[in-house]
Amino acid sequence: MKITGYRIQSYVMKMDRPIGDANSPMGEDLMPASILWIETDLGIKGIAPCAGDVGSLFDIIEGQDPREVVGLWRRMVDATHKGGLGLVSEAVSAIDIALWDLKAKIAEEPLWRMWGAREGRAKAYASCIGYCLTEDELFDFYRRMAERGVDGGKLKVGLDLKADLRRIEIMREALSVACERPKLMLDVNEYWSPKQAIRLLGVIERDFDIMWIEEPARRWDSEGLRFVSSNVKAAVATGENLKTIGEVSPLIREEAVDILNISAMQSGFTGCRQIANFAHAYELPVSMMNCQANFMAHLAAVLPNHLAMEVVDPGREHCLQHSSIVDEGFILLNEDPGLGLSIDDGILNTLISNPPERESNFPFPRREGAGLYVKGLAPGEVVWNEPKP
Amino acid sequence: MKVTGVETALYAYELDRCMGDANSPSGRVRGSGCVVELLTDEELTGVAVATGGAMSLIKQLVEGVLIGSDPRSVQGLFQRMNDVHFKGGHDGIVNDAIAALDVALWDLKAKIYGEPLWKILGGDQRPIHCYASGIELPMSDDRMFEWYSRMHKDYGFRGGKLKVGLEQDADMRRIGLMQDALGGPEVQPMLLIDANEYWSPKQAIRKVREMEELFDLTWVEEPARRWDFRGLRRVKDGVKTAVCAGENLDILGDFLAYFHHDSVDVIQASYGMGGITCALQIADAAYGHDLPVTLGGSPGMIHAHLASIMPNFMTMEVVDPEPKDGVFTTDVRIVDGWAYPGDRPGNGLQIDYDALERQRVEFVPAGAGPSPLGRREGAGLYEVTPSMEERAVAEDTGLL
Repeated sequence: MKITGYRIQSYVMKMDRPIGDANSPMGEDLMPASILWIETDLGIKGIAPCAGDVGSLFDIIEGQDPREVVGLWRRMVDATHKGGLGLVSEAVSAIDIALWDLKAKIAEEPLWRMWGAREGRAKAYASCIGYCLTEDELFDFYRRMAERGVDGGKLKVGLDLKADLRRIEIMREALSVACERPKLMLDVNEYWSPKQAIRLLGVIERDFDIMWIEEPARRWDSEGLRFVSSNVKAAVATGENLKTIGEVSPLIREEAVDILNISAMQSGFTGCRQIANFAHAYELPVSMMNCQANFMAHLAAVLPNHLAMEVVDPGREHCLQHSSIVDEGFILLNEDPGLGLSIDDGILNTLISNPPERESNFPFPRREGAGLYVKGLAPGEVVWNEPKP
Repeated sequence: MKVTGVETALYAYELDRCMGDANSPSGRVRGSGCVVELLTDEELTGVAVATGGAMSLIKQLVEGVLIGSDPRSVQGLFQRMNDVHFKGGHDGIVNDAIAALDVALWDLKAKIYGEPLWKILGGDQRPIHCYASGIELPMSDDRMFEWYSRMHKDYGFRGGKLKVGLEQDADMRRIGLMQDALGGPEVQPMLLIDANEYWSPKQAIRKVREMEELFDLTWVEEPARRWDFRGLRRVKDGVKTAVCAGENLDILGDFLAYFHHDSVDVIQASYGMGGITCALQIADAAYGHDLPVTLGGSPGMIHAHLASIMPNFMTMEVVDPEPKDGVFTTDVRIVDGWAYPGDRPGNGLQIDYDALERQRVEFVPAGAGPSPLGRREGAGLYEVTPSMEERAVAEDTGLL
């Protein structure tokens, strides 16, 4: 069996609702996306819902057996030694994901079983990424998740303490139908300095029992993150913006992280699993970042230290067909081979031929004042903060 | 497919040389093992080799956890076996049992997909770096030289590990002999030494520094007690030679002290620590620290299957380039000093049932365990050099 070719298709889709955080509270409902197919001489194709500069790495994997995916991962990582993973890190991730999909499809197994999980499921938590959402919309989102058994929620905060406190209570109340004391998490996306985080979270913790605070300092600031952890009750969660085990290493070794966020963009399944095992040796839980169709739940299902995976559900599957569901508080996978994803060509073609009229503002740029002062919400910046007539 | 049961059988065999380390200078001439064969409702079985003492726990775990389970769920089953032994701890003999069952499950899983173990894990067929390990302290200089010469000429080894610790002058002389046997200083063989926890940290620093004046040593293994993360760290900081340790740790959690205190330069992993599942976790954790991993000796050299998926893999110990227990065949081959795992589905171990029947024993015979004499007097305190009687015991075996 040999890898014979690849295809990439990029498109922009309109989601069911906008998403926004402290850096872009006004939100965005246009999302750029890509699909990578890796083709074989058997006709079976591996799919990854991401791509990057695959062309620059393809000669490394061309003609190789896709089942030797970890060996190919090593060759890609070694090949990019001098310049660093930097520009091609997304491509390494995408290729690795598509190759694991292929490997499991060849074995006619879902990927979670290929890796040896006992059950195809991963515990979920709800995350609206919804600084832009009104209070009613917030409530509806978390209530809808709670009705599917999800007993924890994460809220984007950081720009308006009073509004944040009000919205945390809305999230808590909406989730309280799933359990008496829902797990509450907050995410500031590196908008605060460590001291701001300690001050502001200190106020929040007077009223709420917060399970984790995510990215309360810059992603690489080991000292700052540890300082926050030592001075608040909540666990510090971080890591989703780091790309390699080498970047994660100082955080773990210097006790800067209590819960490690892991993602598909950490050098693919192969790199992500290494990072999760590294955290496991330190008795640290990991939490899988959200992704389209929740496909990373396949890896979460096999990790002994996986806590809960982020479910956003903003409606961004479109041409990406899958049959995993969220129920009983878990992402439930099934017996479909590989990642269980397939592409609806008709929908994809429509997306390509009818692109949105404007550019997407995603990924979000960093907001003014980050790490320095809180630049509060301007009147009208978010729909729930319209100027009074 | 479901696990339906397990067969276990203890066996003993004659060694081809008198093996021992600083703790057993009179050596041993017999070895032993426990064949583990995990049975399923189909024809396939999962094969592993365990230590003899783990037999009853293996049966318990199969009955309590594995029977009725899908063997493809190996990582989940590994975790379940650990969790079942939560209260008493999953180290020690429990770990021996879990480790063997994990190996058998991975063997089954690879066989289900018709692939060799290295491939089901996602690895590729690159040559695996390895070194010869005589476990030869009881052997005379001549016999030791002969063994390493054979390893060099017949199998192409360019690295070797010497057991040291009881007599500094003899150790230095023998390092030189091993170097000559492996091709001589001009080809710069990889020289490793192993003190098997016989020294204190300061003894280790004195002795290794003196050796370093004559030889370029790649690592010193277990120069302090396995749990002494401070002592290992002191040795690491006190000598040029890398400090290698870990083979006597059992579980992932045991390694935390090494990692957190930067105690060692090279992490040892093997399936003896929680099987293949846990060995890979240990290797990943070492990778997070930019530490190399070395794989220990294994029946049929099955560790060669794990090497290609470990980006930080350094080298693998080979005690016998061709298995001599007679009970197993392997398809890992040594060619020109490198190991090559083969294409046989599973881990490549095949049981010779006739040989097993001939070599079957009721219990592990005295002297056939891995460290029959236990820890030697003086360990960590002062050196007790081998007595005339101890030398005579080794000499009289007539073996290498």
